[in-house]
Parts: sequence; structure tokens; C-alpha cells
Amino acid sequence: MGRWKHFVRLLALLAMAAGAFLSFRAMAVPKDFGTLGHFRASAIAEAAAREPRHLGSKECEDCHDSIYVAWSEGKHSKPQCENCHGPGLLHVKTVSEDSTDAYPDRIKRYPKALQPTTGIQECKWCHLKTFERPATLKSINSVQRHVEKTGGTYTAGSKCTDCHDPHTTVVK
Amino acid sequence: MSPRSTPSDESEITRRKFLEVCAEAGASIFVFGAVVCTTAKLMLPSLAEARSPDGSDKDANDVIYGFLIDTTKCIGCGSCVRACKAENNVPDGYYRTWVEQYAFYENGEVTVNSASGGLNGFADAPQLDIPETTDEPPVRGFFVPKLCNHCINTPCIQVCPVGASYKTKEGVVLVDPQRCIGCGYCVQACPFGSRYLNPETRIADKCTWCYHRITKGLQPACVVSCPAKARIFGNVSDPNSEISRLLASNRVQVLKSYLGTNPRTRYIGLDSEVL
Repeated sequence: MGRWKHFVRLLALLAMAAGAFLSFRAMAVPKDFGTLGHFRASAIAEAAAREPRHLGSKECEDCHDSIYVAWSEGKHSKPQCENCHGPGLLHVKTVSEDSTDAYPDRIKRYPKALQPTTGIQECKWCHLKTFERPATLKSINSVQRHVEKTGGTYTAGSKCTDCHDPHTTVVK
Repeated sequence: MSPRSTPSDESEITRRKFLEVCAEAGASIFVFGAVVCTTAKLMLPSLAEARSPDGSDKDANDVIYGFLIDTTKCIGCGSCVRACKAENNVPDGYYRTWVEQYAFYENGEVTVNSASGGLNGFADAPQLDIPETTDEPPVRGFFVPKLCNHCINTPCIQVCPVGASYKTKEGVVLVDPQRCIGCGYCVQACPFGSRYLNPETRIADKCTWCYHRITKGLQPACVVSCPAKARIFGNVSDPNSEISRLLASNRVQVLKSYLGTNPRTRYIGLDSEVL
């Protein structure tokens, strides 16, 4: 026995180190790691579980049917409701949770539910004239020049929505 | 005299003999381990990434997503950038998708402007980048929306030290927020600048093609919000899908094809200055 004492000791040390490593590894590495590749397999389902915030314009039709019809049949049907008004998830949740409350109160209670529209900033996103934008897309350089050219009276702070209905682009 | 000082004794283990045996044992363990690992890898194909010989993922019947951007239609309104930020909680100053404005001048100069990633539709400073050498307005220009290319040969997944970056069977490149340690290797590895370290969560973040939407049958938020229909998303393994028909009938390019990352985001109408 005496001559193998060194090996027995060494092997015991190695076995202990291997055991420590394996138990640490079992704690550190998730169970489903590596079943589909070098990653945690359940991460895919977790990534897919998040709730969509943009619900689509169709979702607005139920309550805002007259505006929806005007918008969808008008010239401005390409930009969606949520492009200017913001994602509808919170808004719809708010409305359906208690349907006896008055509508404006819910917007006040959840100010982030729907972004307020400025009536000019949203228009500039698409309709400010830059050299890349096609001629078919009606665009202007300044509100003042546009108002004067079309025969209106410009006052400081005039907005696009003073004259245009943003849902249809029709001049009021 | 103690037995230690008599190395000539045959029955005793000398230091030399001990080291020899240890080296032999180590070598045999190493060879045995290598054999076991190789066999395991051969027998479990899931460990290696499933690939067909052409480099694309196998199983043509499965859903493989693709993204097509028609730069000739983009009007640079930034709706996609705003929708993406709202849908995915992207912090200020960071972008999962952004729009670049290319301007070409009479004297041959080319400028690229992506002020706030196009968040305000280039409304605040439409000609921010007029070069000092010319006062003339640009002679031509166009917008190029950008996002994660969801490459087939991903540099970002290769460098991840903890297996936090991965690719789903649909070809979508994702980050596991539980595994990510925020080291930022993938941010540097991506040649397209598609990744960033989220300052709030301190982990790597990127475009997911709105994986939480597309798995529910919805389109990504940027595609839904695009008023010019410049972004098309769909299943490229279905020959009747809109994207498959457009890919079949257009001259399509990818960004930085020379890097061989084989992007799944493809473009119509790119100039050589963009490639």
C-alpha cells in the first residue's frame, strides 16, 4: 500500500475537485441550456411572451367608428392611428377595465395611455419638404408660406390642424 | 538513514517515476476525453448548429423569416423609429432601427445624416450636414432605414462568452436577458452597429424583428407603422408570401456582403455608397 499512497491521495484530490466542479456547474448552468444549441432553450418562449403594444388601427374601430371610417376612406389612410396617437395597449386596457367611467377621465388618469397630438409636429414628420421626398407626397417648407399661398390668414402659432382635418387631410 | 535517501531501492517510488506515471495518466485521460467529446458531438447533432451545405438553415418547410427594405419608397418620416421605441422600450439616444439620410453634392461629396436616428423625421434639421466646401443644396439623395440584419453567419453569437446570444429556428437572432453579462463583445463584433448596451438594464439589446409580435401572427411594429410600405416582413420559405414574390422579382442587395455574414435583411435600390 505504501508505494501507492501518493496516487491514492492525488486521485482523491482530483475526485474532490471534479465533484466540486460538477456540483458548481449544475448550479450555474440552467437545466435547458444546450438542448437546442449553445443557449437557454426557454429563453425563446420568454422572448415571445411579451405583450404587443401596438394593436393596429382595426382595434380602434370598435369605439371610434366614425373617425375610423373617415380615416380609412380618406387620403390619409396610409399612416396608422398609432403613428400619431401612440401605442394603444394601455389605452384599450384602461377603457375596458371599467366601462362606466367617462372617457376623458381615463385619459387624464393615464396620461401616457395616448400621446397628445400637437397638430404640427406629427405633420412635419412626413410633409416637411426635403430633397429626397417624392413630388407625389405633398410637402411644404413653412406653414406661413403655405397659408399665404393658399389664401389664408397666418397668425403666429398657426397649426396644420387649424385648417386641415388630420384624419382625412380635407380642409375644414 | 531514512528510507527517503535511498533512491536506488527498486520498491520505492522515485520522484522521476512518479512524474512519469502522472504524465502517462494525464495523457491517457486527455485522449480518452477527446474521443468521448467527439463521439458525443457526432451523435448529438443539436450541439452543432444544424446547417445545410449551402449555409442556410435546414428544413425548407419550416418558417424562415426575412425582411426586405425598399429604399426607393422610404420618405424618411421616422414612423418606424418611433414605433420601435414605443413597442420595445428603447432608451433615449439608442436605436434598434434608425434611418440614414444620404445626400450627394455637385462637387462629388457624399454626406450621411442620422440626426436622432430619424426619430423626428428629419424635420428639425433636414440639411444638417451641408459640407463646408459647398453652399449648394444636394443634387440628389435618399433615405436608408437600418436594423439588425439577422445574419445567417452571425459574428455576434460567435463571440458571446456565456451563450446569451442565440438564433431561433426561424432565423431570428435574440439576446437572453438572463444570461447576458453585459460585456459588450457582441456590440463590437456586429459590423452593422445593430447592437447597443442598454444603459438601464446593462445588457446587450437589439432588434428582435418584434419576436413577441411575429410569433403571435402580427407584423413587426416598424412594418405596421410604415406609411410608405417600404418595409416588408414575412416567411421567405413560403413561395407565395409577399416577401418571397418581391424577392423573386427585384434586384436585391445586402449590406456589406463582402464580410460574408449573409444577412436576412435585404434591400432594394441601394447605391454603391451605402453598400
